[in-house]
Amino acid sequence: MKLAFSLILLFCSLPGLLAAQIGVYQHGTVVRMHMGECIPAGHGFMATFGGPSTPMGPEACPEYTLLSDNVVFVIVGKLSNSLIPLAETIDFRFHRNELAVRMDDAKHEAKFAIKEMMVRSEWDRLQRHIDEKMRAADDHEADVRLP
Amino acid sequence: MRNPRHLLLVLLVATICGQNFVSGQSMTGSSQQSPNLTYHSAVSEVRLVFFATDEHNHLVQELQKDDFAVVDNESVIRDFRSFSRADLFKLDVVVLLDSSESVLPHFEEEIADVQKLISHSRWGSEDKVSVLSLSGLEARLVCSEDCRSSFTVDRIASLPRGGATPLFDALEVATEILMRRRQPDVWPLIILFSDGDDTISKASLQDISGKILEVGAQIYAVDLSNPRRPSNGTAMLQRITENSGGRCIRTSEGAARVFDDVIDDLHSARAVTYVPSQSGSKFHSVRIFPTHNLGWQFRCRSSYYYRSNTAHQEDSP
Repeated sequence: MKLAFSLILLFCSLPGLLAAQIGVYQHGTVVRMHMGECIPAGHGFMATFGGPSTPMGPEACPEYTLLSDNVVFVIVGKLSNSLIPLAETIDFRFHRNELAVRMDDAKHEAKFAIKEMMVRSEWDRLQRHIDEKMRAADDHEADVRLP
Repeated sequence: MRNPRHLLLVLLVATICGQNFVSGQSMTGSSQQSPNLTYHSAVSEVRLVFFATDEHNHLVQELQKDDFAVVDNESVIRDFRSFSRADLFKLDVVVLLDSSESVLPHFEEEIADVQKLISHSRWGSEDKVSVLSLSGLEARLVCSEDCRSSFTVDRIASLPRGGATPLFDALEVATEILMRRRQPDVWPLIILFSDGDDTISKASLQDISGKILEVGAQIYAVDLSNPRRPSNGTAMLQRITENSGGRCIRTSEGAARVFDDVIDDLHSARAVTYVPSQSGSKFHSVRIFPTHNLGWQFRCRSSYYYRSNTAHQEDSP
């Protein structure tokens, strides 16, 4: 019984451990999070760009913007409680059409659907543009407020 | 100019003149700066008071700065300007006592509960406690700031009771009192004893929700309604308390439990300050999430109004 239990445990934790040992994990930082529409099960990046999908109802799922060195991912949890610990750096890897994120205990991964992908340099450029616009709006507001 | 010596001379003169020109300019610049001018640099920061509980709903005692991240208008913030225990703040508490018709059968117990809360020994020496009674058409001030020494059952007994429930109007009065006394190092709180069923207010739920956000008060409600009959009042109490980061407690859980919960909360709360990211909106939604342990839960108010570049920069605790 003990042996069977150990084998099951080993089998379950194998993919995570193996991935960690092989060093396939990439590192990234979550910079944005919001509760958005859930992506229907079995649908990923391709389905998102392939046209409208069946509505999921009122449930909201967490959506994260994950920055890696070269690529920015927008990923969506499968359930409303599919959360990622918001540590400075998280480990993740591609798994079929999804992103597997390593949780803090290093033996467990959570899978997230990929909603969008963008080249990091393009994302940085967009952010700079947004920041400049915000700053200009703030400056304008301050000028209007001054007598 | 063909003579290198001439060229050297010209260069030397040009260098000296150039230096004088630059230093002259800088001197002119500094002489133009009147010593009476004062330069102001506005630092806009937000202060959030929050509570952390573990998987077993116990308060997390040893919470560190890197155990959590704030999600402010979708931006994840991990860089905090300060992190401290909130019991370092002074409390400004307004207790709202519902004395309308619908709660009269339990009124004596209610007064006894309020008295227990006020006479609790764990208040800080500089904490302020005020009591308002609400019934009929208005809220009446029973005592202001000094209720810890001046509140008596006789004072309540002498006030009118019964009639309609102007709950939202009373909450409006409470937020106005807190707004007038608002200080950066003071934590505004409203403790509401009511069944939550407003029957006559001029103010709406939307009006008071905006004012509660503006003053940044945390609301604790002691629900006096019948636990066997769920009502709209209970739902309303839960909504306003959750949005403010407070709690709704049923009086049937026992007075001792109510006060322990409230006082434990007040003593275990943490406060964090940070600079919010730029956003086009003044309304900021806010939540706190763990950075390591997903079993931990964080409770804080759900939103605030951000006022940048104003004289009063800090959001209240």
